[in-house]
Amino acid sequence: MGFGSKRTVSLSSFIIWCTLAAFFVLVLLPTFYLISYVFLRWPEVNREVFANPIIGDENWNQILKVLFFTFRLSLSATLFDLLFGIPLAYVLARKKFPGKSLVEDVVTLPLVIPTSGFGFATLVTWTTASGIGGVFGSSSGAISLDTLIPFINVQALLFIVHVALTFPYVVRTVETKIQSIDPTFETASRTLGASSFTTFRKVLVPLMIPGVFSGAVLAFARSLGETGATIIVSGVSSTASIAIVRWTAEFKLATASFMGSLLVIIAAAIILPVEVYLRRGKRTLRFSSHFPVSLSRQLLRLERFTSGKLARIKDFAPLIVVVVTVIVPIIVVLNSVILFWPADPYTGKLEGGVFYQLFGPANYFNHLLQATLTSIVVALISTYISMCVAIPLAFIIERRWYGSFIRSILKVPMIIPTSSLGLSVLLMWGSSGINLLSTGIWLIILTHIVFSVPVIVESIIPAYEGSDIQTYEDSARTLGATEYNATEKVSIPLVKGGIITGFILSFTRSLGETGATFVVMGRNVTVPALVVNMVEALAIPAALFTSTFLILLALIMLGLIRVATRRR
Amino acid sequence: MPEVKLVNVSKRYGRIKANDGINLTIKDKEYVSVIGPSGCGKTTLIRNIAGIIHPDEGEIFIDEESVSNVPIEDRRIGYVFQNIALFPHMNIWDNITYGPHVRGLPQQQTRPLALEMLDMIKIAARSEAYPHELSGGTQQKTAVARALISDARLLLLDEPLGALDVKVRTELRYELRRLVKDLRLTALHVTHDQEEAMSISDRVVVMKKGRIVEAGTPVSLYTRPQHTFTANFVGEANFLKGIVVETTADTSVVDIGSGVQLRANRGKETVDERVIVVFRPEFAVLDKPIEVNRLSGKVMDVLYSGSIIRVMIKLPNDETIAAKRIASFDKPMYDVSESVTISVSPDNVLVYPYPEEGLKKALALE
Amino acid sequence: MPLVKLVNITKKFGEIIALDNIELSIEDGEYLCVLGQTGAGKTTLLRTIAGLIRPDGGEIFIEGELVNDVPPEERDAVYMFQHFALFPHMNVWDNVSFGPSIKNWDNEQVKTISSEVLEMVRLSDRQDAFPSELSGGMQQRVALARGIASGAKILLLDEPLGALDARLRVDLRRQLRRLVKDQKLTAVHVTHDQEEALMTADRIMVLRKGKVEQVGLPSEIYSSPKSIFVASFVGNANFFEGNVIEMDNSGSTIWIRGDYQIRVSQTDRKVGDKVVVAVKPTDVIINPDSHKGKNVFSGMVDSSTFVGGSMKYKVIVGDGMVIFSEALVSNIQELPRPGQEVTVSFHPARCCLFEYPEAGLLKEIEAI
Repeated sequence: MGFGSKRTVSLSSFIIWCTLAAFFVLVLLPTFYLISYVFLRWPEVNREVFANPIIGDENWNQILKVLFFTFRLSLSATLFDLLFGIPLAYVLARKKFPGKSLVEDVVTLPLVIPTSGFGFATLVTWTTASGIGGVFGSSSGAISLDTLIPFINVQALLFIVHVALTFPYVVRTVETKIQSIDPTFETASRTLGASSFTTFRKVLVPLMIPGVFSGAVLAFARSLGETGATIIVSGVSSTASIAIVRWTAEFKLATASFMGSLLVIIAAAIILPVEVYLRRGKRTLRFSSHFPVSLSRQLLRLERFTSGKLARIKDFAPLIVVVVTVIVPIIVVLNSVILFWPADPYTGKLEGGVFYQLFGPANYFNHLLQATLTSIVVALISTYISMCVAIPLAFIIERRWYGSFIRSILKVPMIIPTSSLGLSVLLMWGSSGINLLSTGIWLIILTHIVFSVPVIVESIIPAYEGSDIQTYEDSARTLGATEYNATEKVSIPLVKGGIITGFILSFTRSLGETGATFVVMGRNVTVPALVVNMVEALAIPAALFTSTFLILLALIMLGLIRVATRRR
Repeated sequence: MPEVKLVNVSKRYGRIKANDGINLTIKDKEYVSVIGPSGCGKTTLIRNIAGIIHPDEGEIFIDEESVSNVPIEDRRIGYVFQNIALFPHMNIWDNITYGPHVRGLPQQQTRPLALEMLDMIKIAARSEAYPHELSGGTQQKTAVARALISDARLLLLDEPLGALDVKVRTELRYELRRLVKDLRLTALHVTHDQEEAMSISDRVVVMKKGRIVEAGTPVSLYTRPQHTFTANFVGEANFLKGIVVETTADTSVVDIGSGVQLRANRGKETVDERVIVVFRPEFAVLDKPIEVNRLSGKVMDVLYSGSIIRVMIKLPNDETIAAKRIASFDKPMYDVSESVTISVSPDNVLVYPYPEEGLKKALALE
Repeated sequence: MPLVKLVNITKKFGEIIALDNIELSIEDGEYLCVLGQTGAGKTTLLRTIAGLIRPDGGEIFIEGELVNDVPPEERDAVYMFQHFALFPHMNVWDNVSFGPSIKNWDNEQVKTISSEVLEMVRLSDRQDAFPSELSGGMQQRVALARGIASGAKILLLDEPLGALDARLRVDLRRQLRRLVKDQKLTAVHVTHDQEEALMTADRIMVLRKGKVEQVGLPSEIYSSPKSIFVASFVGNANFFEGNVIEMDNSGSTIWIRGDYQIRVSQTDRKVGDKVVVAVKPTDVIINPDSHKGKNVFSGMVDSSTFVGGSMKYKVIVGDGMVIFSEALVSNIQELPRPGQEVTVSFHPARCCLFEYPEAGLLKEIEAI
């Protein structure tokens, strides 16, 4: 037989070390640099934030105000998501109905949509006559920019945008969790005499709690870090992530970095304990809900009654949320571009038309072309580099004993508000750090890599865990394949769907990212940033066109995801 | 009085007819098993009765009442799953009392019921344990108790022993039957294990490709199956091709090649018909062959399975048949290539028309 | 020289000792079955031989060479999973030629070998099909073909029939054995089904809680179990608790509760010892030809169960001794019925005598 007497230095361990090194430098270091920056330059920070010679601790007050507002917004949006997202997730996971894949697409859309374009669409829909207001014959919008929602004191428009953008995180995560729960538990409960509502409450809810938590965490983090759409609809109020963008632009770097690290620390303090709890407690949550007997029987009777009659409403009410927050703005913005194409339909002025703004003296079309080129170059390069790190990293996470630790760390870039991330990358690579790069396209790429790696890894992992890779690989090994061969010939093809999804998600995310890009882009404007610039320059028709362009791009991407995932 | 009646029940999945015009009546207090190869539609059948799925056509009656519009939770059935499906987030006590609880039964009524159930399956001491802390067999017993506590009169068992070790499986199946009979329940048990079905049922239903092939008591299915498929599915058998050469009022003589002839009790066959002759290995007498239906041949192989030996014998017509005998140590053993003579009583020789689709296809197990 | 040799193999998973000092030699060309309950350590043993698990202690030799540090791909031992683990993204041909091509054999050779083994398992006409399009039995054959094509000499079969229907299993276990023998391979087959083991194996190893309980020929395991556990696990048994009251050269006499006496041929206990006598139901004969001799009891059939081909009887002797008997059904008309008076007997040489277990009899024999 003759076993190989000397073992060649394993190719796999070489790959592992390269991957880990790249992961450390490209992903981890920038995320933590911000905090160390604050420590290293504490005197400067202290002088600017707490003891400014001119305005005293005004900056600190600002920070507090912004933080409270942001948490109010994120928390309420997340709660709203849960309320409507869980029933929708249940319907998507368990029911079959015509048009289901369409609904799934629509739910996924906000994940791939460039947020600034989407924010602008929402703005047009709710606050102008071209939107919902116009449909009901009003000459102004349905609501104004600063209409507040009572109790939480948050602008309605801001709330709508945040719900739309965070909703898919809850729905998708909970849906995946429910799909992983054996449906025979529910059938068993039904045969034992429980109505479908009772079954939902007593069996499904306790089993899906971990999924609900992770979904809520993702939604919360997303809302906390959202910049692109927020910057457009926020009006006078400021969330934490846009405050960072503004302060950086005003060169209040110390204040911005202090606020950034506060945001990172608070986000981590809320989210990581949940992560740890979920990871450690593979067991499901055990409720001991001791209702008074009479109340519990009343509840059962109510559930029995409603199970038959109201089930439909429960099934389809959440869909309205998606339609109103996602579909309507898209239709409105598409419609508006057509309306505004030759001229402003209300005043008849040519200068107010899309055509004039694009090809007239302002020549926004040229800007758009340039920005598109920048966006695509950035997205391609950053996604390519991220793939090179993320694919081996996903395998390391699944195979090595320290894998779960890496996966937990990888959550950090996902929950950090992107504008803090941009700031961190700027501080680290830029003139105040190692002074290697100044603002511009390379810095954008480096920033995008930080959040692209986790996105790709998180797409590969479900594909890996869903297909029993270990068994196939063991099989391949005993058939004569080395570890490297088995990975190349068996495992990677098996997770191909996850890799392609990860690629497209990361590409779209990069294409649509606004917050971090704004901080680091310098003069290399990307398309989403261009939308913001246009809105700020009040070039509304041009913004309309650019938003439409971005949304169409997202729809194409979504189609690609469909094709990629369906082929399996 | 749960009598279950299925009238013309059909269910399709895409182009596949999982149930194709099923007519079946399960009598009160009867233990009926449904067997068949994977994909024969037996699980679809039991799920139709439970109300987990709804038939495309046909109707199901429980106690002479149509249940088309009765939701699962109101059908008063106990359902036991192959994958056990005890709620992982509840302990044994909470699992067992789940039914009465969700039906809104007061605690003082539930308690004695639950204690009785725990006692019956002998795990009262472990009522605080969580399902994953118990062995598979104990988990399944708990699941049965959970299904029965709400006074279900109809027990539907969907491959209840499939997930368990063989040894546990054989012990538990007798406990299941005893429980059903003691509590005077009606039971429908779905399994792919013909031995399990034969050993515990009052009646066995054989299914193939969405249809019922035949139904009967275990003994009648085993000794007098109506179809070649059943003959093969419910146990090992020797299948020999032949031509009917002679018939009298009560016997037929079949030539199975090379001048070897077998006599059988007369069925519907006619002279010159192509037929299949079937007899079971244990009906082939090895030691003291009787005068009729003697077959001589050469021993090809002797196989042991514990106390039973199978002697593989090559007949003059080149077909190999099996004969079974208890491996009694005071009787002589057989050597390979030894010549032996066996006999089969005409009572135990079955004759079937040659199947149109060919013998191999008619017997196919998958 | 044995092909595979395990010396003192030990493996722990946390607190649980999955393998406890396993010693085993497998000869070239042998078909060995490893029999045990869920959690006995069977799969761990198989994975250790394959190299998919590193033992905590002990040594593994293949062809006399120490292979503890040899990776699985260099052991020439192919592992077959219960659900076959056919690569879902490859068709039958690519699955079967996976081994030869990954080992970089030349193209012609890969082709010849792959078509040969496909021919052997009668699947040449399905070589373009994907695994999901095949029935369970076909998938099993592809998995076997894939293993054989890779040039492996040792087949490690982890419940190879477990994913198939019961009736199909009976047909396929014979085919499985024949294939291994025809190809002159060595097989280690793990199962919890004692009948499957008895029918396929040259030799059986019974594992219990990570320890070897007995290794021997199928007939030895069945007829001369070395422990109460083996007696009960393989083919079931009647157990009688009692004390040795008499012993001579030809055997011992055991006094059983209810004042019965059982004669056994074994003489390796002392008078006065508390013992357990085990008798297989298949060795208990109902209405024997001769009523003379030892261990003849009269009783009444309490119940009978038809298990297809054989009949199981529960016979009650006197006022309480229960004896189970199992017999082949060769004439359905003449079977004893419940309520009928019968004589039962079993030969002293068919009785096994064991020391009474410290933990109690039930602990040794309960399955659930």
